Amino acid sequence: MKKLNGFLFIIFIIEIIIPIDTPAIPAFARKYGFNCNMCHSGYTRLNDWGQRFRDDGYQIPGQEGTEKTVFDTPPPIAMRTTFGYTAYNTDEGTSTTFNIHGLDLLAAGVMHKNISFLLIYTPRIDEPSGYFFIQDSLQGNPSQLGALESASLVFSNIIQDALNIRVGRFEPAYHVFSSKRSYYLFQPYEVYNLTTPHNTYVFNDNQLGIECTGHFRSGFKYAAGILNGNGANPDNNNYKDIYANIMQTFGKGDGQSAGQRLGLFGYYGWQPLQSPGTIVGPSGETNGSDNKTFYRVGVTGSFNWNAFNLQVLYMTGIDNKAFNTIEPTEDYKYNGGLVELDYPALFNNRLAASIMFNWVTPPSYDAEREIKAYSALLRYYLGDWTAVNIAMHLEYTYRETGKENKFKENLVALALDFAF
Amino acid sequence: MRKPIRLVTILLILLPVMLAAQDQSVKSMTEINVHLLGPLRIDNLPPVAIPPDNPQSSQKIQLGKLLYFDTRLSKDNTISCATCHDPAMGWSDAGPTSKGINSQMGGRRSPPVSNAAYNPLQFWDGRAPSLEEQSKGPIQNPIEMGNTHEVMIKTVEDIPGYVEIFKKVFREPKITIDMVADAIASFERTVVTTDSPFDRFVKGDDKSLTPLEKEGLEIFNGKGHCSSCHWGGNFSDGRFHNLGVNPTDIAKPDEGRFVITKDPKDMGAFKTPTVRDASLRAPYMHNGSEKTLEEVVEFYNIGGRVDDPNLDPLIVPLGLNDGEKKALVAFMTRALISTNPEVSNVKPVETSEFPK
Repeated sequence: MKKLNGFLFIIFIIEIIIPIDTPAIPAFARKYGFNCNMCHSGYTRLNDWGQRFRDDGYQIPGQEGTEKTVFDTPPPIAMRTTFGYTAYNTDEGTSTTFNIHGLDLLAAGVMHKNISFLLIYTPRIDEPSGYFFIQDSLQGNPSQLGALESASLVFSNIIQDALNIRVGRFEPAYHVFSSKRSYYLFQPYEVYNLTTPHNTYVFNDNQLGIECTGHFRSGFKYAAGILNGNGANPDNNNYKDIYANIMQTFGKGDGQSAGQRLGLFGYYGWQPLQSPGTIVGPSGETNGSDNKTFYRVGVTGSFNWNAFNLQVLYMTGIDNKAFNTIEPTEDYKYNGGLVELDYPALFNNRLAASIMFNWVTPPSYDAEREIKAYSALLRYYLGDWTAVNIAMHLEYTYRETGKENKFKENLVALALDFAF
Repeated sequence: MRKPIRLVTILLILLPVMLAAQDQSVKSMTEINVHLLGPLRIDNLPPVAIPPDNPQSSQKIQLGKLLYFDTRLSKDNTISCATCHDPAMGWSDAGPTSKGINSQMGGRRSPPVSNAAYNPLQFWDGRAPSLEEQSKGPIQNPIEMGNTHEVMIKTVEDIPGYVEIFKKVFREPKITIDMVADAIASFERTVVTTDSPFDRFVKGDDKSLTPLEKEGLEIFNGKGHCSSCHWGGNFSDGRFHNLGVNPTDIAKPDEGRFVITKDPKDMGAFKTPTVRDASLRAPYMHNGSEKTLEEVVEFYNIGGRVDDPNLDPLIVPLGLNDGEKKALVAFMTRALISTNPEVSNVKPVETSEFPK
């Protein structure tokens, strides 16, 4: 049990130290001269207007195809980082530290009529290091890996609002509640991050592929795509994963900050049991063999009342029994979800308050993967009429892992989260 | 798994074809120019652009002012430009819509002349591409000034004082409608409202706005989404939007910009007016259907009054609380009132001063 606790401890510390990729893109605010809260209910959460702006390929809703391009505006580059103090406690002790939680470099804009792009690069950061043990530090364990979190082109308005195409590495539309734009800096959506036995697919990852989306005046939205399903990496098999997402908003708004929205999503993928395979392609991919299927399905709801927004997600995942190294005669089945209540308050949403319950329920024979997490946060934004781009962030999480022998963790984080 | 690959290949092949097909919907130059402007940060007003074919001169501006206030341009000598675009009422009128000759009521609110020089297109529906073209319209509108250009020119030509001034300004033997329009437009280009508390604030005078007005400014540019249309120095994008305004006549709603473009997207869309000096010219919207600024804020807060099928996608409920609404109203009530004397002190021309 001590070994397991140590493992979980390290995982949690990694989650704290390695930043959760949360893009807010001040380059757009700079382009238009808008305050951040034109698009956000306190960054990084999008409001209805911001959601429509994103859906329209980073173009003003209703004015697609008439935008200034990146060649007519200042360089559309933005940065974001977080500095803070964390106190972390388990039955085994308490640790406290100041730390810088990574750096995001962002660029986004319209390149040509109805063609826009988004780049998010996280540079490798060796200092502060991500050490947990002296030997890791000596080996140069970075606190952030260099990565192209997103590199995508969006072709918008192909058939008016009914067809837009996004290609590259991007956040797939089945992330209805974007962990990238969650208020929470330190507590992930657990069910997004769960890794099941012998399956390298992670729901939370940005993926490489192509996605078609459309939105309609009736409040209906769809998305469908084809992906590698292997995160930022080349595919590890010759099968492509597919997904779809449909949503309907009732009433005025887009379901982010007004209106009531219901949705349904599904993902069907393949992962190899034997990897690498026998063929290595020019970009290094391998044709892993003995591919087996898995799927994820879920329902979502986003409900608004006055300034309150309630987000509910329930999803279940089933992996082919061939992946199941714990109980090989059975498919690996789990479920999980989240319930998050957000309340942006004070003038111009200068204060954001939130509570959240997150859970993962694995099969009974794998109870060590069970997670329950209870979180709360307050974010107060500093700035003026031009931008409110500095968030004073206070977050608390109590998390239990396992069923019989619960590993209990408490995290308090106080941070400054700023972007420009 | 071959099927998805085939689908992707087909989509990629079709993409350039689809984009090329889109380009065939060519828009007019005016339309393109309107859209190339912004959005831009709300700011001080830039200098007014003067068209090369109608250069300003003090004599021409003075002539334009005389014509602007002269009721003799109308059919029955009762209506001047200033009747509906009154300096004392924020260069608009009491509304809700305007009263023309024989007490006939127009269907739309009188748009402000102040800062109209910054509008890429004139009238609520943008049917005039310049102030010159705009100024010709009301003279011959049967429910506004009710005249014809020919009769109006004859009237002016019969006034020796005008003949003399026109000769001085244009150095032409004959008065034309274009000269009248050029003179009025020249005067209107001087009606620029600057030096408001907001203007002083953005120049660095932090005390020119009260704390409540500063909150209102922040909401105006943020959560209130106001500056998504009311942007730039003139607080207007010059574009056309269907806001879900309560129609004056439910049976026959005003089609707005659609009448001009015949583009279904423009159905019920009207031009964004400036917010500068807005508190001087209640009621609001193209038909005066919102009586106060408080009502206007509430209108936007609920995402428009009417769930119009062509509602602009910029219109979403805002979720403003009472304090935010008050701040927004406070900002628009005082902080955008111009105090530059050359405009705020403009008085109607005295009867005795008109040419005889």
